Amino acid sequence: MRVDASNLLNRLGRQDFSYKEFEDRFTELELWPMLEALLKDPRLLELDGAAASGAAAPAPESLPSAQTQAAEFVPTPPRPAAPPAPEPVATDSISALFRRYEGPNAAAAPAPPAPAGSGQDVRAMLRHLSELGSRGEI
Amino acid sequence: MALIVCHSPKGGTGNTFLAAHMALGLAEAGADVTVLSMAAHDTLPFHFALPPSTTLSALHASSEDSVVVSGIDLRHARTAPKDPDFIPMLKDLGYFQTGRDRTLILDVPSCERNLARRLVNHACAHLCALDTAPETLALLPQMFDEAGKGGLSRTSFVINRLDDTRRLARHNAAFVRELMGPRLIGRIRLDESVPESIAMLQTLARYAPSSAALADVRRLVDIVLPALDTDISIWSGAKSSSYAA
Repeated sequence: MRVDASNLLNRLGRQDFSYKEFEDRFTELELWPMLEALLKDPRLLELDGAAASGAAAPAPESLPSAQTQAAEFVPTPPRPAAPPAPEPVATDSISALFRRYEGPNAAAAPAPPAPAGSGQDVRAMLRHLSELGSRGEI
Repeated sequence: MALIVCHSPKGGTGNTFLAAHMALGLAEAGADVTVLSMAAHDTLPFHFALPPSTTLSALHASSEDSVVVSGIDLRHARTAPKDPDFIPMLKDLGYFQTGRDRTLILDVPSCERNLARRLVNHACAHLCALDTAPETLALLPQMFDEAGKGGLSRTSFVINRLDDTRRLARHNAAFVRELMGPRLIGRIRLDESVPESIAMLQTLARYAPSSAALADVRRLVDIVLPALDTDISIWSGAKSSSYAA
């Protein structure tokens, strides 16, 4: 602990600090272009299909023999870069993300109707959800 | 026995810190823990208050040569990425079974993605430390693609070095929280005590018992511990204590 922090604790008569959380609601966040690009990446959908339990998960790959294992170390050509995300996939990804935000009760319900054009406009969808949140509707 | 793989898609996210403190926490809880560093230049000893001159013994070295701190056996396996017998050997040693009696924690460098992927397929758990840097988040799609659904089912994420007084860090952490859902099992706050304790050649618990990072990592240990006895992913059994909840 830094000396100044230690001195402050001594002056306050405390053993440690209590930390303030600075968390924002997701709908109050601005969507940085990097995050927006990530939301449109279909590879993030892998997460939705990953099972929770070991039993439900795909069986681990069988242990290879030393010979085949050695072959795995042969460099393989990198996978081709993912193609640009088609809009419907991006929309599904975003929908899944926001369904989580809406809580378990909404999970089984159909996705709420989005404002016109918002399927292709993440910012518009965020604004819409933010408005719904401020009105206490979600 | 249980195998925990600590691997992050990007270097510098605190993967070694997480592996070391997970080991310390599990050992405190009574587990017999071995930590295996696979980095060519490992920094693992520093988190155990060991000086820079410390050299870890190889996995096969005798127990007389091993470095043991707080009951934790620290070893290196630098040749593991090129050793075809490494994973079969772990199986022979029984580390692909569940149970906290003996736990092996692997500190896998970010660059060893192929090895990490194959280890995760056999591990009890994969702990993935992320920081809130946009570069780290940008690597997530590639990581998901390579891990596949089977690998991701065993992966639990931890946000490390979180400084939520910073706008971008806060926003990125919220993004990760929304994206990962219950798979995000916790966060470790940025804490200057961590590098200070290393510089002081002291463990974090000794140097700064009130450390925020230490408190956070101890919460993580409480989440991970029950999962060592089951086949259930850590994150699926951590709903009540999840940072994401």
